[in-house]
Amino acid sequence: MHLFIRLLKESVFFASHSLLANKLRTFLSLLGITIGIFAIITVFTVVDSLEKNIRGSIESLGNNVVIVEKWPWSFGPNYPWWKYMLRPTAQISDLNAILKHSKTVEAATFKVDVRKTVQRFSSSIENAHICGVTGGYENVSKFQVENGRFFSQMEADNGKNVAIIGKTIEEGLFSPGENPVGREIKIFGRKFTVIGVVKKEGESLLGDSKDDQVMIPANFIRNIIDVRQENNQPRLAIKAKEGVSNEQMKDELTGILRAERRLSPGSEDNFALNEASVLSKGFDGLFDVIGTVGWIIGGFSILVGGFGIANIMFVSVKERTNLIGIQKSLGAKNYFILFQFLIEAVFLSITGGSLGLFFIWLITLTAGDSFGMEITLTLSNAVLGLTVSFLIGIISGFVPAYGASQLDPVEAIRSN
Amino acid sequence: MRNAKRPAILSVICIIGFCWVLFTFPGVFSPSVKKLGVFIPAIYGMIIAASFISFIGVWHMKRWGAELYVIAFCSKMLYFTLTHTFGGSSILGILFSIWFVVTFLVYYRRMDMNL
Repeated sequence: MHLFIRLLKESVFFASHSLLANKLRTFLSLLGITIGIFAIITVFTVVDSLEKNIRGSIESLGNNVVIVEKWPWSFGPNYPWWKYMLRPTAQISDLNAILKHSKTVEAATFKVDVRKTVQRFSSSIENAHICGVTGGYENVSKFQVENGRFFSQMEADNGKNVAIIGKTIEEGLFSPGENPVGREIKIFGRKFTVIGVVKKEGESLLGDSKDDQVMIPANFIRNIIDVRQENNQPRLAIKAKEGVSNEQMKDELTGILRAERRLSPGSEDNFALNEASVLSKGFDGLFDVIGTVGWIIGGFSILVGGFGIANIMFVSVKERTNLIGIQKSLGAKNYFILFQFLIEAVFLSITGGSLGLFFIWLITLTAGDSFGMEITLTLSNAVLGLTVSFLIGIISGFVPAYGASQLDPVEAIRSN
Repeated sequence: MRNAKRPAILSVICIIGFCWVLFTFPGVFSPSVKKLGVFIPAIYGMIIAASFISFIGVWHMKRWGAELYVIAFCSKMLYFTLTHTFGGSSILGILFSIWFVVTFLVYYRRMDMNL
């Protein structure tokens, strides 16, 4: 073992000496691997980050939450959209029926979304996301009121002019250090008292971050807009009780909604029960395609890089044939020569791969803002990059190294 | 023994093996293998690299080539079993590998035992 380590040390010394003696050649030959690793791990890093962000956004909808609306969140080529056109939208009457008859529901809420200008004195935010919600929304949706409180049941039922605002809205309308709670803002030309500010969530790739939202009681907004209109996206969000599966709750909801909408036994449902898992499954296919495309492109780059290393190793062996002959005549074993060149190839390849990973890391530090999401080089991607570099070094370096180890010492010494 | 002539069948096997390595190597960093675990691509890659080196050994009529191929083959079986990734293509690969191993055994005595 000691002898092996000593030989390994000597091989590393010879290899590093040879690489440093030909700096430009070393640089050019490791460039192929650098570009290959950079290409493939960049794609994997971006796909993983995108996936993590989208999955995070989907999970924020809640895994045990069912959304009742007109359109199903289906994916696929045979989407029968014409069937859903004539369906009625979700209504507050549906919510009342569910709250009255359901035994599996923990909390349920009705929600509509509109875009309007929010004003405060001379400050205004155009096209702000206004959500009209009923009481119970705080139990269905995942968010935290950082300052103030959510609507009371009475405020929600009576449609009081109170609002809960997101962090971006707060920053846009109020000066730093000013407490928005208790102050007034204007939406639809009417005054609303701010009663709470939601904790900052950051950007959501599904575009539903609470930071940009203003929540007001649905019973207030229904006096101003037609909440049955499809462009206001009326929907119910329903959360199952603990220990109740989504399937059990969906069975019960189907019965209640069919009875509420007076559907005859033979007719199809005129509502869709959607879950976050459907969205998640829909994105699986997309991520697989992006990953595969990146894999093919990066695979070719790495292959070219591997050929580059093999080529440079053949040149290296040819150049040092004389030296190999001297080493062998002085007693160097075949495996010593093999290790010497193999380590050189692996070292070259790993250095190239590490450089590629370093560039990716630099990009993750700077490009996060331009992508609008956090991009991180994960441990698994870094390990994969180094593994691939190592294997490319072994595979492309073995043939030249083995050839060198098999040289006849006398012929090798006599070569120029 | 050192310069034993390589039979044509071994040349064919080695060429098939080199092509097989070329086509399976990208599998090391494929999304499907990556999903199996952090170190799975490394293990799978080591098996492929070992197979490649073993073909070089057989090409040079070295016993260690045949021996390394058997080790790589057994490791691959273990890998497929532990990761539950047996498929149609892996069964074809196993049949080919069995053919390779049998041929190597036939010519094993004619191979050189040195490095």
